[in-house]
Amino acid sequence: MNSNGASSSATDGVRDSNPPKRNSKRPKYSKFTQQELPACKPILTPAIVITTFALIGIIFIPIGLASLSASERVVEIVDRYDLDCIPEQLRNDQLAFIQSSQTNKTCTRSVIVPRYMKSPVFIYYELDNFYQNHRRYVKSRSDKQLRSKASEQDTSTCAPESISSDGSPIVPCGLIAWSLFNDTYSFSFNNEVLMVNKKNIAWGSDKSHKFGRDVYPKNFQSGQLIGGATLNASIPLSEQEDLIVWMRTAALPTFRKLYGRIEEDLQPNQKITVVIENNYNTYSFGGKKKLVLSTTSWIGGKNDFLGVAYLTVGGLCLFLALVFILLYLFKPRTMGDPSYLSWNRNAAGYAD
Amino acid sequence: MSGIWERARASRTLRGRDSFGSRDITSNGDRSSRTVRLGRVQPQAPSNRTIYCNDREANLPVRYKGNSISTTKYNVLTFLPKGLFEQFRRVANLYFLMISILSTTPISPVHPITNVVPLSLVLLVSLIKEAFEDWKRFQNDKSINNAPVDVLQDQKWETIPWKKLQVGDLVRVKQDGFFPADLLFLASSNPDGVCYIETANLDGETNLKIRKALERTWDYFLPEKAAEFKGEIQCEQPNNSLYTFTGNLIIENQTLPLSPNQILLRGCSLRNTEYIVGTVLFTGHETKVMMNSMNVPSKRSTLERKLDKLILALFGCLFFMCLIGAIGSGVFINRKYYYLGLSGDVEDQFNPNNRFVVTILTMFTLITLYSTIIPISLYVSIEMIKFIQCTQFINKDLNMYHIESGTPALARTSNLNEELGQVEYIFSDKTGTLTRNMMEFFKCSIGGEIYGNGVTEIERGNLERKGLKLDGANGSATAIREKGFNFDDARLMRGAWRNETNPEFCKEFFRCLAICHTVLPEGEESLEKIVYQAASPDEAALVTAAKNFGFFFYRRTPTTVIVRESHVDKMGKIQDVAYEILNVLEFNSTRKRQSVVCRYPNGRLVLYCKGADTVIYERLAYGNEDIKRITREHLEQFGSAGLRTLCLAYRELSSELYEKWNEKFILAKSSLREREKKLDEVAELIEKELVLIGCTAIEDKLQEGVPSCIETLSRAGIKIWVLTGDKMETAINIAYACNLINNDMKQFFISSDTDAVREVEDKGDPVEISRFMRDLVKKDLERCLEEAQHFFHTVTGPKLALVIDGKCLMYALDPNLRVNLLKLSLNCASVVCCRVSPLQKAQVTSLVKKGARKITLSIGDGANDVSMIQAAHVGVGISGLEGMQAVMASDFAIAQFRFLTDLLLVHGRWSYLRLCKVITYFFYKNLTFTLTQFWFTFQTGFSGQRFYDDWFQSLYNVIFTALPVIIVGLFDKDVSASLSKQNPELYKEGIRNMFFKWRVVAVWAFFSFYQSLVFYYFTAAASHNGQNSSGKTFGLWDVSTMAFTCVVVTVNLRLLMACNSITKWHSLSISGSILAWFLFIFIYSAVMTPYDRQENVYFVIYVLMSTFYFYLTLLHIPVVALLGDFIYLGLQRWFAPYDYQIIQEIHRNDLEDNRSSALLEIGNHLTQNEARSYAIAQLPRETSKHTGFAFDSPGYESFFASQQGVFVPQKPWDVARRASMRQQPRTHRS
Repeated sequence: MNSNGASSSATDGVRDSNPPKRNSKRPKYSKFTQQELPACKPILTPAIVITTFALIGIIFIPIGLASLSASERVVEIVDRYDLDCIPEQLRNDQLAFIQSSQTNKTCTRSVIVPRYMKSPVFIYYELDNFYQNHRRYVKSRSDKQLRSKASEQDTSTCAPESISSDGSPIVPCGLIAWSLFNDTYSFSFNNEVLMVNKKNIAWGSDKSHKFGRDVYPKNFQSGQLIGGATLNASIPLSEQEDLIVWMRTAALPTFRKLYGRIEEDLQPNQKITVVIENNYNTYSFGGKKKLVLSTTSWIGGKNDFLGVAYLTVGGLCLFLALVFILLYLFKPRTMGDPSYLSWNRNAAGYAD
Repeated sequence: MSGIWERARASRTLRGRDSFGSRDITSNGDRSSRTVRLGRVQPQAPSNRTIYCNDREANLPVRYKGNSISTTKYNVLTFLPKGLFEQFRRVANLYFLMISILSTTPISPVHPITNVVPLSLVLLVSLIKEAFEDWKRFQNDKSINNAPVDVLQDQKWETIPWKKLQVGDLVRVKQDGFFPADLLFLASSNPDGVCYIETANLDGETNLKIRKALERTWDYFLPEKAAEFKGEIQCEQPNNSLYTFTGNLIIENQTLPLSPNQILLRGCSLRNTEYIVGTVLFTGHETKVMMNSMNVPSKRSTLERKLDKLILALFGCLFFMCLIGAIGSGVFINRKYYYLGLSGDVEDQFNPNNRFVVTILTMFTLITLYSTIIPISLYVSIEMIKFIQCTQFINKDLNMYHIESGTPALARTSNLNEELGQVEYIFSDKTGTLTRNMMEFFKCSIGGEIYGNGVTEIERGNLERKGLKLDGANGSATAIREKGFNFDDARLMRGAWRNETNPEFCKEFFRCLAICHTVLPEGEESLEKIVYQAASPDEAALVTAAKNFGFFFYRRTPTTVIVRESHVDKMGKIQDVAYEILNVLEFNSTRKRQSVVCRYPNGRLVLYCKGADTVIYERLAYGNEDIKRITREHLEQFGSAGLRTLCLAYRELSSELYEKWNEKFILAKSSLREREKKLDEVAELIEKELVLIGCTAIEDKLQEGVPSCIETLSRAGIKIWVLTGDKMETAINIAYACNLINNDMKQFFISSDTDAVREVEDKGDPVEISRFMRDLVKKDLERCLEEAQHFFHTVTGPKLALVIDGKCLMYALDPNLRVNLLKLSLNCASVVCCRVSPLQKAQVTSLVKKGARKITLSIGDGANDVSMIQAAHVGVGISGLEGMQAVMASDFAIAQFRFLTDLLLVHGRWSYLRLCKVITYFFYKNLTFTLTQFWFTFQTGFSGQRFYDDWFQSLYNVIFTALPVIIVGLFDKDVSASLSKQNPELYKEGIRNMFFKWRVVAVWAFFSFYQSLVFYYFTAAASHNGQNSSGKTFGLWDVSTMAFTCVVVTVNLRLLMACNSITKWHSLSISGSILAWFLFIFIYSAVMTPYDRQENVYFVIYVLMSTFYFYLTLLHIPVVALLGDFIYLGLQRWFAPYDYQIIQEIHRNDLEDNRSSALLEIGNHLTQNEARSYAIAQLPRETSKHTGFAFDSPGYESFFASQQGVFVPQKPWDVARRASMRQQPRTHRS
């Protein structure tokens, strides 16, 4: 406080000229102890409120438009095949169909390209009602084992898929690896096979650090129950990209995972034949399986959510700015009108 | 050295409830163990202690305690167990301990570190604080224990540390040195065997006291001689009564009685004496000062108690969330999810065969998972904030620094800061608090004639209220003004009294003033330079008055008083007269008078007496009825002007009569048992047939700035009650002078001072009296209440005031009448209770505290206010002038009443606002964080999978969101200090508890609910498909890291939105916290450690940052999350602005809002004329105690108090408290 500062300096003057011993307990002046630190004091005036809303609107709407248009440019084909790929006669007993090793699980479907799809066209599989984030599931893995051969025995966290029946460790152990997705897709157009590139579908950091070059599958899927895909025991885990993708567990029970890429442009109205090996059991828990073909833009896959959210919030803010302006016009409150002080208000109230 | 003592005292007071006074202290004489109960004078032990002086071997078998003291709580070994035990007495810590234990089991979804890290950080901080405080105490003890002292060994003085001192040792203490233990005073370098001591460390009094050694021991002074001293001391067991001591010294078969006069207590220091020799009586913890250290009952603030309820609500919320999750898990678990591996042998938690067990176990799982909902660091943060508020802001506030006495404010407890912001009732003592306790001789009445032309401030105030204006110039040219003397009447000055009608009366009057007292002259023996050390300021004023009338008392020897008398025999003649003082019959509260028997040089024997009118009038000789009547009128006149009166009388004694009486006196004086009582009885024999000389009137000045402070406080909605031991007239006058009562008010009086009461009382039947009083009080109360009803509901009507006296209050506090009393008094703007005992003060305080559930503050300066100070929510002691008792019992000590404005309106209000903000914010941030986790639970099959990495969760509270909230708790400031004082009405927001209502909490809860939904669903919804042009998808940890980033950013920004003022510390800490998170995640996700870690978050942040999704979401989510709060704040300010917001707006264009504050200072000493302040500061310090020499003596109240177990310390003049209430004084009759 200025006045205090001034007067305290005055006392200091007195002190200096003839320092009385008694003043030794006098607290020293500092902005901190006197709580006089310089501060900016923002007040939420209508002007600031309206400006803020307008500003948010002005910034958000272009961003929203940009991301929405980016999302619009993405061409996405979704084909649910879990039901259709079961022969009519077996639809009543889907479980028996999928669990039997005798049945023919090959299924041929065709999709039509709605718009021009520029390569690369990404192939995803989408699962539904699959709790990759279940606590029992998430923790059933051994990162050490995946990373280095030396930790092969380190399967303590992998229950119940840690060791094979003869007691030797399963590599890779755990429920996640065990339940590896094993449907396969092959694409052709006019009987011409479209090559699917399955390289580089996992995040680089996973490949290079989490999965060892010297770790080879061992005893995998050797038990009575087969959860999913088997692995080629001669390829190190760092090259098993399907596994790497699968092991990056999804956040939600509905998720997509990258299967591969078609590195050819697809023309509009092309009819693409997909041959699906429908091996994976989602029938027991009623999950859906979908095949997704999608291009990407800078924003990634088709994702209207961000754009819509930005547009909504931007629009809402502009609207609010308008509402506040109207409020300001029709129900104005003078800033700093003392009559709004509660003690003045009461007195006025009683005077009425 | 004195610094050490200061700290010793401070550390004792800091320790609060753990004060060593509560320890068992083994008494050694009989080797039995007994507990010292605090707050009471200990009963005397039946047995005696026998000490062989100067003979260590002889004392050896008894094993007295050593002289080293320890005030520490812990030692190296006990620190950890004891310190941890103390910490786990807090529920939150215990809860987290349990959670931590739970999280080591496989049930837990989180790694133990999640809970162990915050818990151990919190414990670490608390333990470091404890250790630091204890270390300071240890250092303090060490420096005291190692202080050097001279001890007689082999006929030489050897210097040894204090701690080596033993009972019976002969020690030498030099000038200005502290006594190392309780000593028996044997010999002094002063010729007459006296020494002067300062007892400031004991009771805060800085006036010197005389101690006198027994004549028999004066010779044991030089080491050779002292070595021959072989005495045996039989004395009482160690006790905590500072002012009593009984014992005998046996030398060469001669028994000499000992009195407190020969005792030098540890903690006192030697003054004006080269050195003294003494023998050690009590050592170390057995010394009186150590046994006296007082215990402050620990208080908790109302806000904290409300916080407990909030925590309970959170526990309820936690339970509810867990229950939902647990039931969900029981329903969800199913073998059909074959990928969960449930077919084989499954542990209980996931076994679909027993869904009930699954539910129960998941319940525990979720409790550990959601444990973040309980803000573990809240308590430690609050503690830190409050600690800094106390030590840095309150203690160092220059606005509360009193220049004259050099006293800064002192917060003695740090847990009541915010309580200061909600006080609704202030109970104030009068003397020393509202008034200055600076006595000035103002008027007198001699032989029926009034002298003195002054007008008191109270009279002036009265006149001004009537519309009369007095000239500022006070007094004529002849007026003499010095400290203690403000008298203006030429008729008495410079010998002019010789020409008055009754010069003989005048002479006796002046001699009585000059002789009958216990004042010590100090300094040069000249009119200008002499300094009087007195037990009460009244006495000093009286002796100063005598000096100015030409009877200059300048020297006191143990047997004589020497007075330089002018103009006695004839004008202009000056002579020194030595009056031999034969006996001093000291003042005490039951006697209410003091007498001196003196022999004139010519052999004339006179008893001079001064005392309360009631006791003097009872003892007057027959005759002179006119003077008695006129003097009584004058007494009433003075009393109603707010002056303190004292009657003077004398008695001529014949030598036969005196000799006979003196024998009885000596007998009484040497008795070992009930000495004081016997002395009183003997005094009674001679203090009769007195001749009235006249009376004195002393002005009790108001403290500086009191009226304006009271006005400010009442504008702030605080009601001020004055509780005083004074009589009604004085109390009412002071109330008028303080603006507490004015003539516009509707006043109610409930008084026992009526003829009817007196009539009944004269009959003396206690049953009848009590019945009559009860009826009277009941009738009065009903009458007042009925009258008051009219005004209750009108705002424009007059304010109400109630005046009630102690006797009526006693009956009004009866459970049946209490309701009416409360109803009436709560509707009064001001209440004055006069003639109340300390106990009643406490009762009134608790009546409002408990009966009306309002927050109360008591302020007082004296020992009689201790009970009231302890009873109120907040106790404030006035420091600097009076003794230490009130300060020792208080929570805050300030030097002046007017500093209450700063303490309440500035510090209290800010503390309250800040604490509310801190608590609600803590609540919000933890709820938000936990709720995101809760939403995730729904999508994990209720398995209790954690959303966040262990370290995120454990560091969330202690690193990423810890500092900014503390900064806000320290620096947030809605309006400046001067505006707070200029607009005291702002304080009402605190009284109404506007900022910590359930409604406020609900608003925060609503927004944290909303925000958590935004955090979870927005991050999740946007993360569904390929995330960049390479089409790769995210996993769980990518999403959760994204969400966590948003939470940290938003929660920190939300705090910024809540700030009223943003200093660089705010910006630094908030941006620092956000940066800390990024720094952490950059490092954390870049390294791979082989220990204890699934590589969940490896490289996650880099993966995230390689996508646009990250940036778009990071911009979007905080804005969306805060949008709700922003709209709310905007609308709230628009349509329902808080008062402080309006004030902010009014002053929003002030460049530096402090510029304009000069005119707003309310009674601020800093705006005073500095030169004058400094001049006053140079005056001898106002040091003495208010004793109430007049009828205002509150001393009798100590009897009630001690009966009720309320601690009232003994005063030197109060040692003989009667076992009966016979002597209870009557109210002054007008």
